[in-house]
Amino acid sequence: MRIRVIRSGGLLGMPRRAEVDTSGLPDSAELERLALEVVTETPSGAAPGVPDGYQYIVTVDDRRSVQFADPGLSDAQRELVERVLGEGA
Amino acid sequence: MPGASTVFSMYTTQIAGGRNRPEPAAGRCLCGILPPYILDRLAEADDPRVREAAQRTLEIDTEFRENRLAVPSLAAPAPAVDFILKRTVYDAHHGLALPGDVVRNEGADPVTDGTANRAYDSLGLTFAFYKEAYNRHSIDDANLPLDASVHYRRSFNNAFWDGERMVFGDGDGLVFNDFTISHDIVGHELTHGVTQYTVGLVYEGQSGALNESISDVFGSLVKQYARRQTAEEADWLIGAGIFTPAVHGQALRSMKAPGTAFNDPRLGGKDPQPDNMGGYVDDPLDHGGVHTNSGIPNHAFYLVASAIGGFAWERAGQIWYDTITSGGLSPNADFKDFARATVVAAQSRYGKGPEHEAVLKAWSQVGVNGNG
Repeated sequence: MRIRVIRSGGLLGMPRRAEVDTSGLPDSAELERLALEVVTETPSGAAPGVPDGYQYIVTVDDRRSVQFADPGLSDAQRELVERVLGEGA
Repeated sequence: MPGASTVFSMYTTQIAGGRNRPEPAAGRCLCGILPPYILDRLAEADDPRVREAAQRTLEIDTEFRENRLAVPSLAAPAPAVDFILKRTVYDAHHGLALPGDVVRNEGADPVTDGTANRAYDSLGLTFAFYKEAYNRHSIDDANLPLDASVHYRRSFNNAFWDGERMVFGDGDGLVFNDFTISHDIVGHELTHGVTQYTVGLVYEGQSGALNESISDVFGSLVKQYARRQTAEEADWLIGAGIFTPAVHGQALRSMKAPGTAFNDPRLGGKDPQPDNMGGYVDDPLDHGGVHTNSGIPNHAFYLVASAIGGFAWERAGQIWYDTITSGGLSPNADFKDFARATVVAAQSRYGKGPEHEAVLKAWSQVGVNGNG
């Protein structure tokens, strides 16, 4: 499974992009479970967001894409974007 | 005295109809805009000062159909209004839930957490700035309590205004320091609140870039005010000190030289801010590049403040403040609308003198027609 995260906005305003291919990764099962949960639970459409908040676009296998924004992320959304972007540790 | 409010007693004036205003609906602010029917009624009022002010406003209304600005003389004598500062700092304990637990109330002694104390102090400084510089009673001009949540998420590289409070991340310590480190960041975030309660600029495209720029302008002025720096002495940087020493960059943005604040792959490259309309970007991300295109009005403000000289919050800041509080600007205003409104505001307050000239020239230098 390929999971792409684009994070934009924020006080700085510089976008960050990251993509992982889960095949062969030690935590592939966990990442895939998180990604499926996020694309399933996130309502479709644009996320309104707040001034200086981050907006996130998560795309799975170039097929399913969802958007969400700070604040008010679910635990799964937060964990997925942090793991793919390599932040929050 | 934990929980007590700090009350500043002071006589002041207010714009007619400015208090007891309705709460703004989500994403839109109704305050400060006097509908024509109210002006019509005021124009027939018994009090000659009210009548004259309203009539004058109606004339201006006709003259500037799209960019109406209520003249400052509309302000009527008002009863004493106290300044009430009531801060509450919460700790989100690195979680997602907001606001978190209260760690410091107004008037309470400093706590052991330096981040909470810095947030508390910066909220107080921003409140004092708006009070002293513009006679504004907190961000809504009605003594709205100031709330902040610190330690939001883990190693979170951001700070934002969520419509009700400031939210600070701790930074990851590798690229970003603690987001409470800089007074201008707190001023920037709280000014999003001021914009929300005044002109209500829509956070998208040019109106969104103006929303961002207004937060940078007054965020920088909070810092300049705290340091008692003139326009010449100020660094005009937003968020100086927010990057760790490992990063090649001095700040998030430079109003003096947009596009020069940083250049580091860890930040995604070079500061992309333009300093004139020739560099305007149509970005599908960041609500149409609001943090990029804000460089254009940011630089215009810097040019105005530098041309006028002295303390930038006094005349240049007053012109910008009048522009956002006059009620004459649409929430969908673009750069040109805003530029014209600043020209009108400069003339209304200072006449056709050097301030008016400085504003016209600055917009021309950044490629925006403020004289159309």
